[in-house]
Amino acid sequence: MFKRMVVQLLCIALLNLGSPLVAQAGLIGTLQAVEADTRAQDLATVNATLARDQVREQFMALGVEPAEVESRLAALTDSELRMLAGQVAEAPAGADALAVIGIVFLVLLILEAVGVIDIFKKFP
Amino acid sequence: MRAGRAASLAASAATLALCGCATQGPLLAPADPGALPPRAELVETPFFPQRDYQCGPAALATVLAAAGVTVPADDLVAEVYLPGRRGSLQAELIGAIRRRGLLPYVVPPSGQSLLEQVAAGRPVLVLQKTGAGPWPGWHYAVVVGYDTLEDRVVLRSGTEARLEVSAARFLATWDRAGRWALVVVVPGELPADPDFARYMQAAAGLEATGRSDAAERAYEAATRAWPTAALPQLGLANLAFARGDLAGAEQGFRAAIERAPGDAAARNNRATLLLALGCPLAARREIAMAAALADAGPHEAAVAATRRDIEAATGPDAAGCPPDPAPAHSLP
Repeated sequence: MFKRMVVQLLCIALLNLGSPLVAQAGLIGTLQAVEADTRAQDLATVNATLARDQVREQFMALGVEPAEVESRLAALTDSELRMLAGQVAEAPAGADALAVIGIVFLVLLILEAVGVIDIFKKFP
Repeated sequence: MRAGRAASLAASAATLALCGCATQGPLLAPADPGALPPRAELVETPFFPQRDYQCGPAALATVLAAAGVTVPADDLVAEVYLPGRRGSLQAELIGAIRRRGLLPYVVPPSGQSLLEQVAAGRPVLVLQKTGAGPWPGWHYAVVVGYDTLEDRVVLRSGTEARLEVSAARFLATWDRAGRWALVVVVPGELPADPDFARYMQAAAGLEATGRSDAAERAYEAATRAWPTAALPQLGLANLAFARGDLAGAEQGFRAAIERAPGDAAARNNRATLLLALGCPLAARREIAMAAALADAGPHEAAVAATRRDIEAATGPDAAGCPPDPAPAHSLP
């Protein structure tokens, strides 16, 4: 019984380790002040906690090791999380995925246009 | 014969003139030629050849190593690679730099700014889009050199330790990717020709993710570079308050308010500090000022919440409460 409680407490403590500094009540964070000066506030309407949960879910779905998820989230600011929430699957992800399919398609199109092949039946 | 020759000469002159119109000047030539050395190459920059789709970790390892932190690219895979996307997100590269207590400075989107960083000795991590139109081909590489006379750029890219490409080719792929470029700065140092807002965003990002020591060094560098700016003072004061140094925090908030008497955030935070110092009456005066300044602004809700806390406090000020700073002359 006691052991179980300790384990549960430890789990909660571990979860908290991943989250950045808890904002002090009554203080406006430096980052908030910077962003108030530099960008439109429409982003701030999305709840930061909600955004963090969404990005966590997306990271899990995209195969990030569960042990790594929290520390990866902790390295991102609230506004970065808000921007990512809902679009982890679409945001640019540098990969060096050479546009191989694109090249193949282009070659086929050129061959078709000069009359070497005739595979695009539906097009005149 | 003579007339024919004259005509052909005129024709060649016209052709030459046309060519002159058609050829562009060197793309990398700076607007102010004295501002940049004509060529530079950071030959010492190490190279981490990428594995399948893992150009993000490889490019990141390259710029981290240039800032003095050697991490094998394989170790960075667990931090920035998204298996389901077969790639890495820009925000996560920034996060991985923060995790090492280094400052991720996003370079202004101009070729000149990019070259300035290289000339100052910092290799630049860039996002490229090699595919056209709907085809993806997002790719990270590191610019380590340039030659404005030959109009060429030198990259560490993919499996190429030294890839030389024409400026036109590089700029096209960089342009398609939104001209995103990043340098790693050791906190306390400044990037070449720093942009205040971009620099402060990077420094405050360190603070917001718990890298207080790195953030403090970055703010201190900012107070030297922009001595009249209020934000770096606010940052230092917030850090002092967070570690319980109330006297240091009071000094910092006061310095911010002196520089920007209309700064609602600095006044709000100073009011909270005054309450912590046992000075509820001084806190009331300060938060009233903040509320007037924050009206309909981005900090309105935060200031209103602070005001409720302060008005709930009763009693006289303790002995030794600090004097009020000068009022905001720019009050609306």
